Amino acid sequence: MLTDKSWLPRLAFAPPQTAPRGDTLVVIFLRGAADVLNMVVPHGENAYYNLRPSLGIPRPDDTRAKNESRTINLDGFFGLHPEMRLLLEMWQEKQLAIIHACGAPDESRSHFKAMELMERGVDDERGPASGWIGRHLATLDTGNSSPLRAIGLGQMPQRSLSGSVPVSALRSIADFHLGKDLRAVAQMRSALNTIYAEDVAGQETLKILDILQKLDPIAQSQNSQIAQYPDSDFGPALRQTALLIKAEVGLEVAAIDLGGWDTHFAQAGIQVNLLKDLSAGLAAFHAEMHDHLGSLTVVTMSEFGRRAAENGSLGTDHGHGSMMMVMGGHVNGGRIHGQWPGLETEQLVGPGDLAVTTDYRDVLAEIIQNRLNNPAVGEIFPGYFPAPLPRLLFD
Amino acid sequence: MTLSRRDFLKLTGLVAASSALASCRPLYELAGHPPLTGWPPLSPADFRALNRLTFGARLAERARVAEIGLLAWVEEQLAPDSINDFACNLRLRNLDTLAMTGQQLFDLSNKLFDDFDLETVPNQLRQGTLIRQVYSQRQLYEVMVEFWNDHFNIATDKGECYYLKTVDDRQVARAHALGSFRDLLWASAHSPAMLVYLDNQANHKSAPNENYARELLELHSLGVHGGYSQADVMELARCLTGWSVKEHFWRGEFTFNTEQHDTGEKVVLGARIPPGGQDEAESVLERLARHPSTAQFVVEKLARRFLADDPPAEIVQKGVHAFDVSSGDIRTVLKVILLDGLPLAREKYKRPVNFVAASLRMLNAESDCGSAVQDYLLRMGQVPFNWPTPDGCPDHVAAWQGNLMPRWQFAFALARNELAKTEVDLTALLAASGVDNPLDVFSTLLLGAPLPANEKDALLTSLRSAGASHDELLPILAGGLLASPAFQWR
Repeated sequence: MLTDKSWLPRLAFAPPQTAPRGDTLVVIFLRGAADVLNMVVPHGENAYYNLRPSLGIPRPDDTRAKNESRTINLDGFFGLHPEMRLLLEMWQEKQLAIIHACGAPDESRSHFKAMELMERGVDDERGPASGWIGRHLATLDTGNSSPLRAIGLGQMPQRSLSGSVPVSALRSIADFHLGKDLRAVAQMRSALNTIYAEDVAGQETLKILDILQKLDPIAQSQNSQIAQYPDSDFGPALRQTALLIKAEVGLEVAAIDLGGWDTHFAQAGIQVNLLKDLSAGLAAFHAEMHDHLGSLTVVTMSEFGRRAAENGSLGTDHGHGSMMMVMGGHVNGGRIHGQWPGLETEQLVGPGDLAVTTDYRDVLAEIIQNRLNNPAVGEIFPGYFPAPLPRLLFD
Repeated sequence: MTLSRRDFLKLTGLVAASSALASCRPLYELAGHPPLTGWPPLSPADFRALNRLTFGARLAERARVAEIGLLAWVEEQLAPDSINDFACNLRLRNLDTLAMTGQQLFDLSNKLFDDFDLETVPNQLRQGTLIRQVYSQRQLYEVMVEFWNDHFNIATDKGECYYLKTVDDRQVARAHALGSFRDLLWASAHSPAMLVYLDNQANHKSAPNENYARELLELHSLGVHGGYSQADVMELARCLTGWSVKEHFWRGEFTFNTEQHDTGEKVVLGARIPPGGQDEAESVLERLARHPSTAQFVVEKLARRFLADDPPAEIVQKGVHAFDVSSGDIRTVLKVILLDGLPLAREKYKRPVNFVAASLRMLNAESDCGSAVQDYLLRMGQVPFNWPTPDGCPDHVAAWQGNLMPRWQFAFALARNELAKTEVDLTALLAASGVDNPLDVFSTLLLGAPLPANEKDALLTSLRSAGASHDELLPILAGGLLASPAFQWR
């Protein structure tokens, strides 16, 4: 009765391929549809400024604007939002690549449908219920049985992680214990071992407890010596990911959410805070992971982009084309990848949105094949045939 | 069932006896309990059903169901006004912002009172909501209030929602929880908190903001597959231009701002809408409320809440029919889903609020439902009125199953009396039961029946080998059962 799970659905997968594990993958999902046109700004397009008379980020050479509020030029046509300046160093070191105008074919402009399809890695709801990361883990046997093979940072494991390999959420390593009273802890542990003897999720949690208890408590409690993470939910998530990577506990994939990007109203101030958080977090993580960059890939994504034209409330409504960033030691960085579709009226799609010229699965498939050693992209993205762009992203 | 009938009858005396035994307990605790004599143990099916209809079946409710039957109990619960809730209302007496108007709440928060913390209003709302979930006798009503607050989700940290949500909770979910869906949708659309949460106060002519219009179609009525287009979203947004919130006199009240309204003709869902000011969007609301896609979307969601993550299609179909013929009468629809559907119910995972409330209720805890309890809810991932996105808290197992640790911590902290302003009296519970086997008592309370002999032996053996003394055994058993896989399901 305590452990009866006979009715739980079973998921079937083809027998996994065997390969040595590749990079640790960190997937950062910007929830709420980030306004990428104000992140990687096409300052070379007049249409951008016509569409965004109030919200547009001033050109790098716009002397009417204060220096610190102008776009930071990257390649003469695109530039970074000034609050993303902390990413400049990794860009110049060619460890940060940007793929502009990428996204999913779905045009519902619904956050929830778009996120679900993207996290499942499918074209429509009839596809498999598991997530693309879950299927990656299930189709690749790396000989790693760690309960921390994949982890969702936060209170809830991300949909992308779901699959046959159990995945846990981890909000705080420091909070992951049963208390300080050793006698009581021994008894609780004993009770839990018995009642969860046949429960996979519980067994995984107990194994994680054992692993985390062995981590150096000083390293857990103090902020990093190397890097200053932002004081937010995002900072500690990256900080703890770094800690798990350095502790070599078998982490292969970490999923992190950064929410709040649904900026229909008064976008500028909201986005500045989000971009500070994102950039400071990524810069700190990049600095701390300096010696591990050769086996690390970080990717950011969002469910779709926002309308090219600003709305009447100094915000932007739901759009289409988005942008991804890929960071790591092997990335063909310091470049904007993908084909820019333009922002002239006839180049926009739907109600006036940036077109998608690169499917997000092309980017992920390249990471999966080249950096995670998994050739099974057909099972990970069923029904989709990633465009043959080998080693676009990686040298 | 390994307890004898005589033992079980003793067990049923628990609530009344333990209340009497714990002398610190205020007198009002004793109000409202039905007599607990002479009722048979509940069937597993009724125990499960009761756990769907409540935030955890208390003995008083088990007794009542055993006495009058589940169907009659559901009828009773569908008429919440006829249920005396005096004891719960007394617990709410210090939460004085719950009954205030928007203007009063704004004045309070607007520095008129030097020491007034902006968190006071939303904190009282959270605390009051949890107190009602744990202590109200109107359990099915509270379950439905939670359901509608999820359906019309508003996060209190968005702008002025921190005080407007208190009004919305009262005037939308609580006013219409068991009424007509049309009135509920209407009230939500006119709710200042909703208009602020989804940016409609910034939806102006010549510069529409689509946020509310989209979620009204996608999340509140038709559903994402309900047959609307991007053009419908944009046209409905035009209809909703000028739907706003008063900013000066009668602050926080709904207002229709003619100046900001787009007076042009619109076409929504294939129908031409002649210029008509506020009537335009209201005519769309009327159509949405009786649209077949709305019936399908809302009924399926209700069935998911009460029956199964993937609810039986035949029950959904019956519910949709009931929705149509009753013009969206929520009581009528619920009766179909519950009376026809509960026998087909499959396992549902307890969401964090349900897990915490059930733990408190089933161990007869005395709790202020304040910060100690809410800190654990935050770590589990669900605090009332804190879900950031308009889709509301998820209602399927995959979202919740991967975060067991804070549940275990809460389970043992509660049983060991380590939570501030929260107390359980396990000794009194055991004494009142008249049964001297604590494992049988707690498993009957929490899981509906004693554990099978082999599971009992395994648990007791492992605890003895960990050196648990007789005194340590009670909290570790109660906590262990709360932490168990079985208790995570309802």
